[in-house]
Amino acid sequence: MKGRLARWGWSLFAWGLILLVAAPLVWMVATSLKPEDEVFSLEPALLPEEPTLEHYATLLTETGFAGYFANSATIATATTVVVVVLAVLGAFSLARLRYRGRETIASAVLLCYMLPSVVLIIPLYLMMVKLGLANTIASLVIAYTSFALPYALWLLRTFMAAIPAEIEQAALIDGASRMGAFFDVLLPQALPGIISTALFTFILAWNEYLFALVLVNADDVRPLTTGVMTMLVSGFNIEWSLLMAASVMMSVPLIIILAFLQGYLVKGFGAGAVKG
Amino acid sequence: MMAAAPKLRGDGWLGPLLIAPVVVVLGAVIGYPLFTALALSLFEVDTPTLRASFAGIGNYAELLGPGGRFWPALGVTLVWTAATLALQIVLGVAMALLLNRDLWLRSLARSLVLFPYFVSTVVAVLVWRWLFNDLFGLANQGLMALGVIEAPIDWLGTMPNALLSVIVVGAWKFFPFVVIAVLARLQTIPESLYDAARLDGAGAWGRFRDVTLPQIGEVLGIVVLLRAIWDFKEFDLIYLLTGGGPVDATRTLPLIVYQEAFGLNRMGMAAAYAVAMMIVMLGFFVAYRLAVRGRL
Repeated sequence: MKGRLARWGWSLFAWGLILLVAAPLVWMVATSLKPEDEVFSLEPALLPEEPTLEHYATLLTETGFAGYFANSATIATATTVVVVVLAVLGAFSLARLRYRGRETIASAVLLCYMLPSVVLIIPLYLMMVKLGLANTIASLVIAYTSFALPYALWLLRTFMAAIPAEIEQAALIDGASRMGAFFDVLLPQALPGIISTALFTFILAWNEYLFALVLVNADDVRPLTTGVMTMLVSGFNIEWSLLMAASVMMSVPLIIILAFLQGYLVKGFGAGAVKG
Repeated sequence: MMAAAPKLRGDGWLGPLLIAPVVVVLGAVIGYPLFTALALSLFEVDTPTLRASFAGIGNYAELLGPGGRFWPALGVTLVWTAATLALQIVLGVAMALLLNRDLWLRSLARSLVLFPYFVSTVVAVLVWRWLFNDLFGLANQGLMALGVIEAPIDWLGTMPNALLSVIVVGAWKFFPFVVIAVLARLQTIPESLYDAARLDGAGAWGRFRDVTLPQIGEVLGIVVLLRAIWDFKEFDLIYLLTGGGPVDATRTLPLIVYQEAFGLNRMGMAAAYAVAMMIVMLGFFVAYRLAVRGRL
């Protein structure tokens, strides 16, 4: 009896705290569904009294949002593909093959992983201007590898190191080549780790702001992060309901990932972040 | 005993071959830019024209000197890092302990807690700026309805409010990292340790202090270092919330680098700030390496 009561108490307390943490997000969704006069009210209700999708319609038809969304999707997908392919091969090399200089490279990767983007932004800007890549999608994909590749390598190296060597050795003894064993044995085992890495990379690229701010200054290549911020700045009076609708739409990929693939994200946390 | 991995043909050059693309790409997007940044820091460079003249250590002398902004900005950066990190740790450990219990709808709870960490900083900042809106924001309206404050507060435009707001939003955004790392460790603590402590008559606090804390200590150490590095170099959140203002009150080192390069058009000076900042961060990195090595 006492145990059950205690469980109730703890659950209530925990959920109270969780709802406090989630309150800004609830408020974001609520605001995006409210008609303008409810948004700018001095006695706001938590939930919209007459929910409306008008802001979403405005967002998609009268602003550049759809274009930004497409740009972000292209950039994040391209970054993910490039980074995951490079990182899978590189992590296999760092985790499984022995050669001179391997530890040095691993250390350098970790150092890169902790490097502030703001240090690279000026040289990368100069580089893109020189290469004629300023204001292109490609410039962002290239710049994004600078933080996504070290991250992905570190994550995948940890995943691959955790796979028992015995299975791979068995295949090698059976006569498989090193690459054959990699593709047939190691890769399937590492698949959950690869999915986790891909999701992390996609989210990192989707959310990136600083490089997009500096490297891209044209509406037709701008991704969501800087695009939505220009919507904030360009309006005479700030239309918060529209911006909240944009925020919700921008978070849709994340909501999908959290709802269906949460396990992979949590796994990635444990692997890359905490184990050295 | 298992036989050692048979040495196969190709094994010798396969490792370097597979890492080569990574080395080339990282050399191009990190190595070369890093070298350029070091070189740039020795020049005076005008951003729009890119006209440069050699300045030697002039930039460094200026930024470290009496008129330079390095030391005040380092102070702001350290205050921001220490304060937001402390909040993240307290909130993160508390939430991890709660989520480790038998809770209703645990998966949904975990999703909601993870959301701030993975959501774009742009989204987080827009939502909080709307919450902080002077007249229609929930923060002011709520506090006024509760009678805590009489008149609306300017959350982002005055000190010390601006710094406090940035610290709180940073804690909200990044504490889930602590939750997940600590939660994973909590789940591996054997229940028998708690039973033993109970037999010895330890209360809830005693069990936390004598069992939980020593068990999560190592993970917590690594988490503190990693988050310290990431908070120290955070740009988006602060830039988008306050832009560094009022005046320079929330302008951390990363914001100074950006401002020098693209606001004040002094690219060489920006590079010098970036290099100086990196040297401070090198200290964090060495500490991280030592901490992780010490564990093995």
